[in-house]
Amino acid sequence: MKRESFILIAALLLGVPLLAQSRPLTVTGVRGLTFGAVLPGVPRIILRTDPANSGQFDIRGPNRKQVLLSFVLPAAMIGPGGALMPLSFRAGDAGYSQSQLIGSQVGFDPRQSFTATLSNNGRGSVFVGGRANPATNQRAGAYTATITLTVTVLP
Amino acid sequence: MRTVTRLTLAVVALVVTSTVAQAQTNNASITATASVQTPINVVGAQQLNFGNVFPGVNKAVAATDLANGGRFDVTGQGSTPVTLSFTLPATLSSGGNTMPIGSFSGVHALLNTQAGGLAFTPSAGATTNLSAGGLLFVWLGAQVQPATNQAAGTYTASVTMTVVY
Repeated sequence: MKRESFILIAALLLGVPLLAQSRPLTVTGVRGLTFGAVLPGVPRIILRTDPANSGQFDIRGPNRKQVLLSFVLPAAMIGPGGALMPLSFRAGDAGYSQSQLIGSQVGFDPRQSFTATLSNNGRGSVFVGGRANPATNQRAGAYTATITLTVTVLP
Repeated sequence: MRTVTRLTLAVVALVVTSTVAQAQTNNASITATASVQTPINVVGAQQLNFGNVFPGVNKAVAATDLANGGRFDVTGQGSTPVTLSFTLPATLSSGGNTMPIGSFSGVHALLNTQAGGLAFTPSAGATTNLSAGGLLFVWLGAQVQPATNQAAGTYTASVTMTVVY
């Protein structure tokens, strides 16, 4: 009985290092989505393939594992005095690249969850574009919003 | 031996269960940013004034007439292109009487002295740039054509200029 208890405890302790062997999932916000100078009444579109202005997240996790990508997207950017400027996202405004190259993305709709597969070395990148829709009387100034990407490793 | 085997199976099950239970989730955020430039503002600064007009005698006011030409003042983001378009009346009205107006002419300039101004045809609109300081001045002229039996009175009409980036 003593021996059995020892085996059980030893095995449970072993279980922790076994879990740790799988590379931990990390998600990093690499680059913000930059609309730059926007004129009142003139919509500004940033493509996910724009290497300077599209948003980018890098993912690191278990090799070749499937992951679920989910965005929390803002409906507006907040500016001076709480002024709002509508933001919109459409199908194809996000892209996933296993090779982490902006030129080799698979497009997807950021408004919906998307299943992707990490590369052989457990990497991937997500790019996002969008549309800023300033009103004709949009108050001048700096506007910001937060875009969050949640990544879940699928079993 | 049988006890150890059962125990091993239980341990493996426990390890597997705990692996499944610990699905990995993580997230990160980026910031979306934009810098909204100065909105366009248009002011009707001076009326297009034909003054006294006599029946049967056409009267024109040139766009270059700084005293009588109509003037719009535009402010907005410096050095930025804008498009001008106009809603032009075909007649002036005084109660139920009308008087034809036509031959609209225009000048736009970066200075309110009209120095360096460019002539344009208002019915066709124009595209130009605001000054580095975000200013633009637009003048309009036209010609009224009173009939020989034009009823006396004060005749007016509205001219609207629309400016967009």
